[in-house]
Parts: sequence; C-alpha cells; structure tokens
Amino acid sequence: MNHWIIAPILLPAVVAPFIIMVIRYHRDLQRVFSVASVVALNLIALVLLAQAMDGTIGVYELGDWPAPFGIVLVLDRLSAMMVLLTTLLALAVVLYAIGSGWDTRGRHFHALFQFQLMGVLGAFLTGDAFNLFVFFEVLLIASYGLMIHGGGATRLRAGVQYVVYNLLGSSLFLIALGTLYSVTGTLNMADLAVRVAELPAEDTALLRVGAVLLLLVFAIKAAVLPLHFWLPASYANAPMPVAALFAIMSKVGGYAILRMYTLVFGPDLAVTDGLVGDWLLPAALLTLAAGSIGVLGARELGRLVAFSAIASMGTLLIAISLFTPQAATAALYYVIHSTFATAMMFLVADLVIERRGGALIPTPPMPQGGLVAALFFAGAIALAGMPPLSGFVGKLLVMDAARDSDQVWTVWAVILVTSLITIVGMARAGSILFWKAHDHSVLPPDPPEHTDDGAPVAADLAPEPVPGLAFVPVFALLTALVALTVLAGPAMRYTEATAAQLFAPADYIETVLQRPGS
Amino acid sequence: MELLLASAVGILTASGIYLILRQRSFPVIIGLSLLSYAVNLFLFATGRLALNQPPILNKYAEAAYTDPLPQALVLTAIVISFGMTAVVVMIALSAYLSARNDRIDMTDETGEDA
Amino acid sequence: MSLFLIAALPFLGAVFPALLIRAGRNAAAASTGSVTLLALIGLLLNAPAVLRGETVSARLDWLPDLGLNANFQLDGLGLLFAGLILGIGLLIIIYARFYLSREDPMGQFYSFLLLFQGAMVGIVLSDNILLLLVFWELTSLSSFLLIGYWKHLPEGRQGARMALAVTASGGLAMIGGMLILGHVAGSYDISVILQHKELIQASPLYAPALILILIGAFTKSAQFPFHFWLPHAMAAPTPVSAYLHSATMVKAGLFLMARMWPVLSGTELWFYLVATTGLVTMVLGAVIALFKDDLKALLAFSTVSHLGLITMLLGLGTKAAAVAAVFHIINHATFKAALFMSAGIVDHAAHTRSIRQLGGLRHLMPVTFTLAGIAALSMAGIPPFNGFLSKEMMLEEAAHAVWAGSAYLLPAVAVFGALFSVAYSLRYIAHVFLGPKRHDYPTLPHDPAPGMWLPPAVLVALVVLIGLFPEAIAAPIVVSAADAVTGDHHSYFHPKLWHGLTPALYMSVVAVAGGALLLMLHRPAEGLWNALPRPEAKVIYDAIVGAATRASRSFTETLHDGALSRYSAIFLLFTLAIAYYAYASGDIGASTRAMQPITAMTVVGWVCLVGSALCVVAFHRNRLLALVLIGVAGLMVSLSFNYLSAPDLALTQISVEVVSIILLLLALNFMPQETPRESSAGRKLRDAVLSIGAGLGAGGLIYALMTRDFALPSISEYHLANSYKGGGGTNVVNVILVDFRGFDTFGEIIVLGIAAIIIFAITESVLGSRVRARLLNRKPWYPLAGDAHPLMMVVATRVMMPIALMVAAYIFFRGHNMPGGGFIAGLIAAIAVVMQYMASGFSWATERQGLPYHGIIGTGVLVAAATGMGAWFNGLPFLTSAFGYVDPPYLDEFELATAALFDLGVFLAVLGAVLLALQSLARFAWQPGIASEHPMDINPERDEATKTIEGH
Repeated sequence: MNHWIIAPILLPAVVAPFIIMVIRYHRDLQRVFSVASVVALNLIALVLLAQAMDGTIGVYELGDWPAPFGIVLVLDRLSAMMVLLTTLLALAVVLYAIGSGWDTRGRHFHALFQFQLMGVLGAFLTGDAFNLFVFFEVLLIASYGLMIHGGGATRLRAGVQYVVYNLLGSSLFLIALGTLYSVTGTLNMADLAVRVAELPAEDTALLRVGAVLLLLVFAIKAAVLPLHFWLPASYANAPMPVAALFAIMSKVGGYAILRMYTLVFGPDLAVTDGLVGDWLLPAALLTLAAGSIGVLGARELGRLVAFSAIASMGTLLIAISLFTPQAATAALYYVIHSTFATAMMFLVADLVIERRGGALIPTPPMPQGGLVAALFFAGAIALAGMPPLSGFVGKLLVMDAARDSDQVWTVWAVILVTSLITIVGMARAGSILFWKAHDHSVLPPDPPEHTDDGAPVAADLAPEPVPGLAFVPVFALLTALVALTVLAGPAMRYTEATAAQLFAPADYIETVLQRPGS
Repeated sequence: MELLLASAVGILTASGIYLILRQRSFPVIIGLSLLSYAVNLFLFATGRLALNQPPILNKYAEAAYTDPLPQALVLTAIVISFGMTAVVVMIALSAYLSARNDRIDMTDETGEDA
Repeated sequence: MSLFLIAALPFLGAVFPALLIRAGRNAAAASTGSVTLLALIGLLLNAPAVLRGETVSARLDWLPDLGLNANFQLDGLGLLFAGLILGIGLLIIIYARFYLSREDPMGQFYSFLLLFQGAMVGIVLSDNILLLLVFWELTSLSSFLLIGYWKHLPEGRQGARMALAVTASGGLAMIGGMLILGHVAGSYDISVILQHKELIQASPLYAPALILILIGAFTKSAQFPFHFWLPHAMAAPTPVSAYLHSATMVKAGLFLMARMWPVLSGTELWFYLVATTGLVTMVLGAVIALFKDDLKALLAFSTVSHLGLITMLLGLGTKAAAVAAVFHIINHATFKAALFMSAGIVDHAAHTRSIRQLGGLRHLMPVTFTLAGIAALSMAGIPPFNGFLSKEMMLEEAAHAVWAGSAYLLPAVAVFGALFSVAYSLRYIAHVFLGPKRHDYPTLPHDPAPGMWLPPAVLVALVVLIGLFPEAIAAPIVVSAADAVTGDHHSYFHPKLWHGLTPALYMSVVAVAGGALLLMLHRPAEGLWNALPRPEAKVIYDAIVGAATRASRSFTETLHDGALSRYSAIFLLFTLAIAYYAYASGDIGASTRAMQPITAMTVVGWVCLVGSALCVVAFHRNRLLALVLIGVAGLMVSLSFNYLSAPDLALTQISVEVVSIILLLLALNFMPQETPRESSAGRKLRDAVLSIGAGLGAGGLIYALMTRDFALPSISEYHLANSYKGGGGTNVVNVILVDFRGFDTFGEIIVLGIAAIIIFAITESVLGSRVRARLLNRKPWYPLAGDAHPLMMVVATRVMMPIALMVAAYIFFRGHNMPGGGFIAGLIAAIAVVMQYMASGFSWATERQGLPYHGIIGTGVLVAAATGMGAWFNGLPFLTSAFGYVDPPYLDEFELATAALFDLGVFLAVLGAVLLALQSLARFAWQPGIASEHPMDINPERDEATKTIEGH
C-alpha cells in the first residue's frame, strides 16, 4: 500500500495543529517548522511526480473501502504536476513572508498557511466529488484567514466581500453535488464518469443542470467573467505574499474544470453537449480583455497585478475551453508559467509597496530602486508575454493550439491586442514607479490625512523582517520562469503526456473502480 | 410532502438571497444562514423523503431505511457552514469596528461613514 | 566561432559592465568593447566561407513541438548586417565612453547596449522565424531601456514608451503573420520557407500574412505612417541615437524585408505596399528634415527618408534594385553614424543642438567640420563619396519603375525627394559650420578629445574609400549579400563614379542643383512650411494613449465599483440564465415516485418555517428580532429533519442553531441594532425578482429530483449493507461519517479548527489596533440590567453543568449505534461551558476553568489524524477502522472501535473551536469595571449607571 499519495495532505494537517498547540508563542520555531514542512512537501511532491511520470495511476482508498463507496485519492500526471507546482510556489511564498516579516503582522500565519496548503493539495489529489467540496472549503476558509492577516479597515471590508461571495459559491457547489448525486447516485468521479455515460436519455435535463452549476462553481474560482468580481479587491487588499499564494488558488478552479470536463463530462459526451466550451471560450476571451484593460487603467499597483492575474487566467481558460489535447498541452504549460509569473509580480509589488506605497503616482526614488526596478521589468515581461520569458512561449503555444478552432481569428486578435494593452499599461506603471522618481520636479507626497483605525499598533504585531531574505524567493521565481523557458522542450513533453492521459480517461476509470493490486 | 419541502426550500432560498442583496453586513449574514438552511434541506432531500425509516440498523427485524448518504453529507455541510458563519460574523464585526461602517459595498470615495 | 557563441556573447557580456563599473568607467568600457570585438572576430572568422557563397549554420532543438528552434545561419546578408552591428557597435562604445558624463550610470548604459546588440545579432543570424520574433521583441525591450536611459527627462520617458508601444505592436502583428507564414510553408525555418515561394504566394493567406509582417517591418523601420516614434527616440543619449538609428534597430525592418524578399516580393501587392510606402516615407522624411532646427531631429528625419528610400528599392522587386538597396544600407550606415556622432560632438562642445544658435563652427572645430562635411556631402549624394554611388543606382532603378501605369510618376517623386535630401544635407554644413563665427554660443566650442572624433573618422574614411574604390572594398560583401537577398548567384554590381550620360545622372544633377537652390530659399520656404497646417504625430499619439488609459480606467472602475450587492446580483442572474439554458436544452421524463402524504402537522410545520423566513425578510431591519426569527426557522428545519427520519441531523441542527445564535447575539452586541432603510424601490424590485427567481430555481430543481428515482442504484445501498459488518455500527450515518467517509469529517473538523484560530487571530489584531480604545469606552446600547448575573440563572446553570456534560458523554458513546456522536457531544459540552459564561460572567468563568482552547483544538485534530495513521501499522490505508466487543462484568456488552477514537478527535476539535470562538468574542466586551468577582451580588450602582446612560 503506497502511502505517499496521502502524505502531502497529512503533513500540513499535522504540522499546523502542532504549531497551534505547542509553539504558537515562538515566532522563530514557527518559522522553522513551517519552512521545514514545506521543504518536506517538495520532496514528497518530487516522489509523487516520479511515480506518475511513467503514466501509472496511483489510487489510495481511504478507510480501505473500495471506490466508489469510500473516498479515494488519485495520483496521475496532472495531479502530480499540480502538487509539485503548489509546493514550489509555497516554498517561495513562505520564505518571502518570513523575509518581509509579513508572518509576524498577525497571529497564526504559519498555521493558516499550512492548512491552506492542505486544502489545495487535497483538492488536486482527491478523486471524490464531495471530498473535493470539503477541500475547497478547507482552502477557502484558510484563505479567508490569510487574506485578512494583519487586519486594517479596508482589508477587513474587502475580506467580508470575499467571504460572502465565496459562500454563495459554496452553496452553489452543494446544490450542484446534490443534483448530480440525486441523478446518478454516486459521488466518486470515476464512477460518475461511468454512470453519466450510460444515463438514460430522459434524465439529461437535471444532469445538465447539475453539470453546468458545477462548472460555474469552478468558474468562480478561476475568475471567469462575469464571476470574477471577487478577485480584484480581494487580491489587491490581501497581504501581497498571500496574494502570491492565491496565484495557485485560482488555478485550482482551472484544474477542476480540466479534470471534471475531461473525465466525467468529456468534450464529446452527448448528455452535456453544448454546455461547456460554447460559453466558456467567449467568457475566457472577455476575461482576458477585462484583465488587460484593468492593467492599463489601474491606479494602484496591487490592483494592477490583480488584473494581470485575471488576464493570465483568461489566457489559460482560452486554452482549457478548446478541450483538445493540443490545447490542454498548451494550457498545462501556461499554468506553470502563469502561477510563477503572477506570484513573482505580487512579491515584487510588495517590495515596491513596502518602500513607497502602492499608488501609481510619482514619488522620490526608493531604496534599492534599481534592483526592484529590474525585477519589476522582468515580471512585467513575463506577464505581458514578451520574450525571453516563458510567457511568450506560452502565448505562442495557446495561439498555435487555437489554430484548428473555428474561433481562431478572434482568439488570435484578442490575445495579440490584449498583449499590447498590457505592455502599454506595464510600461506606464514602470515608468511612473521607477523613472519619474528621478524627475527633479517630483516631491515627496503629503502623509495620508486619515489614519486607518484597523492598523495594528501593538508592538508585538510590528513586522520583524529578515533582511535580504525577501529578495531570494523573488529571484527564485524568476529563475523558475527562465528555466521553464529554456527547458520548454522537456516541459512540453510532460504536459503533452499529461494531456494525452486526460483525454483517454478509460485508464483512470479502470484503475479507480477495479481495486488495483488485488 | 415533497411539494411542501420543495416550496419551503424555494422560499428559504428566496428570502436568503433577498437579504444577501442588502447593503449592510448584518442582514447579509442572516441571509447566508437562511440560505444555508435551504441548501441543507436541498441536499438532504436529494436522498428522497421517507417517514419513520431512520438509517439506524435494526438487528432484530428487516426494516426499510432511508438513504443515509445525503444525511452524512448534510451533517458535514452543516458543520462547515457553521464554521463559515462564525468566521464571516467575526470578520464583518471587525470590519465594522475598524471602519465604523457596516456597509457591505466598498463604493467608498463616499464610503467611510457616509 | 560557433554562431551560438556569437549570438550569446553580447548577452553573457552584459554582466561585465554592470559589475566592472565599480572598477571605473574605463574598465566598464573596455570590457564592453572587448566582448564586442570578440564577437566581431568570431564573425569575421566565418566571413571567408560566406563570401565563398557557403552558408554557415548551427541548429539546436528548443521546442520542436511548436517548431520554435534555436536555428542560426550566416549568409551574406547576415554577415553584412552582423558586421555593421558589431563594427559600428565597437565605435559607438568608444565614442560613448567619452560622451557620457560622470553623473550618468555608465555600467547600466553598456549593459543595455550589449543586450540590444545581442538582440540585433540574434535577429540577423536567426534561421527560424519564431526565434527571430524572440529577438525582434527583445530589441524593442532593450531599446526601450536605452531610449529611456536619461530617466529624469520626460522626453526620454515618453520617447521610450512611444517607441516601445509602436515597435512592440508591430512585433505582435508580426507574430500573427509569422504563425500564418509558418503554417502555410509547413515549417518555421527560414531556409525552408524560402523554398516555397509559389506555395506561399498562391495561398489565400498570403495577403494577411504579408500585411501583418509588413506592419512589423514598417513600425521597426519607421515607415510612414509609423515614422513618428523615431524622432522622439532622439531624447536618448547621442551614442544611442547613432547606434539605433544608423546601423541597427531601424535597419531590422529592412533586414526582415530583405530576408523575406525571395518569397514575399514580386507580387502586385508587395510592389504597391512596399514601394509606395517607401516612396512616401522618403519624400515626407526629406521635406520635414529640411525644416528641423534641432541637429538630431534633422538627422532623425533624414534617417526616416533614407529608410524609405531603401524600402522603396526593396519594393520595386527587381534584382538590380535589391542590389542597390543592399549597397545603400552600407553607405547609409557609415555616413549616418558619422553624422550623428558629429552632432553629438557639436552638442557636447557648444551645449546646444539648435541650428539657429550655431554657425561658423568651422573656425572653432576644424576636425569636426571636416568629418561632418564629408559625411553630409555623401548623404547629399555628391561624388566622389559612397552616397553618390548608391543614389545613382537608386535613381537608375526609379527611372525604370512604372507605378500605376505611369512611367514618370515614380522617377519624378524620387528626384523630388533626392532634391530635398540634398538641401538638408547642405544645410547641415552651411548653417552649422559655414558662415561667420558667432559670439553667442552657449559655451565656446572646440574640437573634442581624439576618443570622440576618432570613431566618426573611421567611418568617414570608409565613406571616402568606398566612394573611390567600390569594386575593391564593397563589391564582395555587397554581392554575397545581394545573392542572399535575391537568391541567385551572380548579382550584377559594378558601380562607377562615371558611367556616361544616363538618365540617372541628369536626375541627380537636377536634384543637386535644385537642392542648392532650395537651401538658398530656405527662409521663405520655411515661412511657407510653418504656414502649412501639419498634424503633430506626438500630440495625436498622446491623445490616443491618454484616451485609451482614461477609457480603460473608467471602464474598469465602473465595472468593478466595489458594490458586492451588484456582484452578487450579476452572479445570480448569470447562474440562473445558464442553469435554465442547461435545463431547457435537455429532456426530462415524468415523475416516477409516489409522494409522501401531507398531514396537518406537516402543514403547521411548513407554515411556521415559511412564516418565520418571510418574517425575517419583513422585519430584518430590527436585527434582534431577525435573530429570534431565524432561531425559529432553524428549529423548524431541525424538526423537519427529525420528522423525515434523520435524527442525527435534527440533533446536530438544533445544537448548531443554539451556538450560532449565541455567536450572532454576541456580535450584534457591538453592531447597530437597526438596519437603515436605504434601498430604492427599483433596487428592491430587482432584488425581489432575482431572489424569487433563485427560489423558484432551487425549489423547482429539488422538486424535480425528489419526484424521480435514482437513474442508477445509489452507492448508499452498499453503506447500509456494510455498516454493521464492516464498520461495526448500526447508526449508518455515523458510520459513514467516521468510517466510509471519515476523510470528509477529518476535513470538516479542520475547517472548524481553522475557523476558530482565524477568529482568535482577528480578535488579536483588532484588539491590537486603535479599535481597542473605542471598545473600552463603549457605551452599551441599552441600560445594563441591574444584576448582570441573576441568582436563579447562576444556580440553575451551575447545577446543569454536570448534567449537561453527562448528556454529552452519553451522546458521544452511543453515537456509533444510535443518533449522536462526537460532533453533537462536542457542541453540547461547549454549550454547558458557555452557560457558565453567560450566567456568571466572563471573568468569573475564565478564572474557574483554565482550558487551553488552542490546545484542545490541536489535540482534537492530532488525535483524529493519529487514529487514522494507526491503520498504517497494519499496512492498511489512512482511517481504516478496527473494532471489537468487550463484555465487562456487571455491564452490558460494549464496543471498542478505533472509529470512536476518531470521533473523540472530532469531539475535542468541536469543543475547542466553539469555545475559542465565543471566548474571543467575549474579549471584545471586556471593559474595566464590568468584571464582578461575586456574580450573584446585586450591583449597587444600578441607578447611577442607568442615569448616566440615560444622560447620553
């Protein structure tokens, strides 16, 4: 029995309560354990990747109950890849949080961080629809805690919006699951796939409702227009390192769409015909457009990055919503790029905001301005999809994959025009942030007149950064982007194999439903 | 009976949603709890309705049982929504205390204490 | 040297100046220079082979699936351009060392310069159009940095952004064009594409591909109407202008057209697009140049004009024209770079670039005058300099070109353009260097140090030598480059200073004479010119960009105005629409299930439930009342669960209900008691419609589901069958919770735990902020009750405490077989403790129970996890349960199940979470003085307290 599969879920689930119980008053111990746990998670993720690399599908039957009656965790190429992506990102973020001292601006940062990881990793690994809901809730509630970490009036108010909107989403999730169960009588994804395929014709209506409601739930996570409204305020007001971690959360939505609508409601399934791609592709195009327009129009750095995150989700969903193996290959490559690039940009944004505030108005030069400017330039290149970083490759892949779609001209036009808008917006922001600062006309801004009542004043909540450490993860993410570009070939081979596995779900279903090993 | 339950779900949903669309945090929270009642009933009813058939196995006699699975799911859902309610209440309260304003909308150039 | 290395060297080298600048400016310059020199040598090592007509290539698979590969090749064309880029680059580096002042960060400058150089070399060496695109965009980016190098100057920043916007957009258009082209040709390798002329020109996609690619080329090479960015890029330091606008960046577009010439040229479309654009640009640039007073602006527009000239030659599509184009590329690079440098020298020496403030410099700066003079004459096309030769060839070609049926139009216009270029070239000499010496120079100019005049001197030497001995010096490279462009192997190239009385000669005489005349009439002409209305490109561009920015800002901020209520409304509308579509587009059969009977009791229950819900809506402004009402609703829900054979749900619902109501009450204590009326009627209507829609949707859906059987048998049959055998419990729901789906429960208690610590964290941060002060001086909404802790209640709760705990224990243990379980037990225990808080007061209760809530939560989760992992020791998966029965004496048979241990974890987590949450809330309420050690005492200050509060 291969226990590796559950390790990435259990480890944080044990470390977090330990932190809460034993060392909640020892800042440094918390940091040590948190980092150690993330490092361990990375090792585990590598093991899992090694196991999934050759296309074998691992199944873990919790409670030793056979699927579909118990809950199963499933490890395939896709989940292995997403797990590793998450743990890599987590390492960068936790190091930055420590380096910038963000983790000391409120209580329980590290515990919540671990729980958040547990939720995300669980969502990637589970093979049971309702269990997916549970992990969604775990990662959501942890994200609520992280989002308002450090407090402050505006952040808390944004937090309320974030929570309420997502609670609507959770209710919808339950309704969708209830509908699916009530029609098919099962919750296991593989079993769902089987039963949906052999469903009698007269029950399609209800099943279609269930299927599309589920899609909407995931679309909320993936910030698809017009369900993206929760994102800008939440990401822009969250602590930037947390927003960087959220870069993977929106990918959970993308993952779930890709998983559910290749495995259960496959593209060529008659029952759910015309429910998925038909509106998802236009919505994705609009998302991309809205995102890039937001970049150009942003008054504040946090929002600028938030909108560029929306834009990159749009590009990702364009690729996903084509539902062809080639497009999925591109999508999976783009997922990696988009996660690292968005996260990096949020961290850079934090570096800037900590030095001069987030408003896009000229202020005198900031300390280490040159270094930060260089990082911003790199991040902007990545997000705008300019060479030499992976964004360019990803964009080419997506455009290339769209070639066989009948929407090809629309897709190309939107992608190219939005890139231009993003470039102009980024250039504008960068020039204001880093160049105008040297203009002799620029004076230091007046101190803000109304002080925020929510801002912490107690001494023990003052940030305690580790000097220098903050830059390490940012450079690490940049290195990851460079590596992703240079090693595009190997990366593509993996994502290609993954896509192939996704679009041939028979293997997955067999392995899950007929207990392997016995 | 089905009709009654369905209509109850409908009305609970409607009232919940209506309150969720209000502009102050407290009614929104109330609306969310109403909505969660509705959702729980919904989820519960997906196992179909049955009277006097609790899924408690009778060792001594053959008996019919209602579908236990949705009940288990609803239990989980109840607990989770309880946790969520607790959190949203606290966040909303802190937001109100920090901003001196319990508006849910952040259309806030006018916002603070408008 | 390998092409990879040549292309990579500048990029790798870019590190050195950035680092070595600490060792001084000479070190930085030297390192940069040697990197460039190395690359140049490497290039020249390949030259012999290329001149022999071979093609050097180096290939490396990068992204074969996409067709994006690191394939490089070096042919004549590549050699010519790479040579110009590296050679002139070297001179620029030397020049810049002396040009830049101490304040300028020279390390940065050289790094950017090398990045740019690398990008350019990459373009001209690429054998893969996608790779070429990569380098193409890189030039846009690096030139952005170079142009904006003087970041304190607004012109620099704006010029940089304009250049980036224009060239990058061209690059994006080119991406589209290249993808099409590669698709048609079936490969992205240039060497392959070049062999498919017929295929490509026959394809219906030829036109879009050509247009998109040309947009890329035109923007880069500043062809009309994209020419406007180039003059504004002059805000860059002069070395940058000299480099970008003589030899490199702006030539990239020409290079691309030359590169693609074999497959794209030769069609009507190509001729009219390229030749016309080139012609227009040539004339326009020349005319504007004549009336610019800023030296660099004059040179900028002359560059635009000459680029137009070369574009036109390429557009003509004849081989001879292509040869002329190649030759003029060399000549223009030499004299234009020299001119820019001389302009820089003048600027440096006289601290002005305005022709109006200059003149008579030949007395003060003889060296500069000589250099600038020769270069300018060459630009004017005066023999014996190289500019003359290529201009002759141009006019020769123009003379034979037929445009839209007219044989005279094109030659005439060409002469017109040439005439103006003579004029501005001569003006550069006459108005700057000739004339009397002036006495009002900003500073008295003088010839610069050799470091600054030697680089242009080298170029001027070339200008002369090529002019005198074209065959000997230029022929080999021109021929091999021209071969690469035209694709045949014996391009005709025999330039002579004198080849008889040809039409070209007449045209050129006309041009020179006319030009000289025009210069004499400069003043009146200028008056005329200024009288003409001219659109100022920058104004238009700024207007467009500004408008776009404002538009996107208002769009974004209207769309995302922060109104959650609107977001939710959109969410609902969208969901309902999509769901309805999904439903309507499917089929649904008749209902298959018999309905359950409706009894009087159920109707009563229904009325209470629905009634309370509606009342909540009706009276939601009175928040306390609303709380009471949803309490009723919760109670009814729990009753209906009970009625519909779900005892566990009933128990859970009711206990959760109690706790959440307490929570809400405590929170309400700090919030306004009333909700103000602020929704407009229309708004209410909208919300009512939406919510009724949602209600109908949910109700209708569940009705449709309930009245139909499972399409396929539910998996829960298995649970019923195996609950006792496999799970050891008769309460199937509980067995599912702790065994079949124990993992859900594990997640669920974690959610609770998280909720608790979030609440704790929030409380900490709020109490750690200024809010605390306000909480401390808070005045209660209502007069406090006289005795905060009524005797009866205190006694009752203290008596009930042990009973409640007993009940909790009972519920816990029976859970596995009868309704109950860890969760419900946890809540009951929590309520038992909370009762004490409520009755006897916070401080009193806290003193008497020192439960570490964090600890309890942690223990709970850990116990649950540990129980699950226990199974590993039997080699079984997480959460596999084991159970057995013991029959202790005097007691009934008793089951021991690991599931019970797991349930214990649940119990603890729930208990801890609830208590921590409520306690955190209670901490908000703490105020000095409200803590009474003796909760049962009557508060003697009641009356005063009441008065003071009424006083407010």
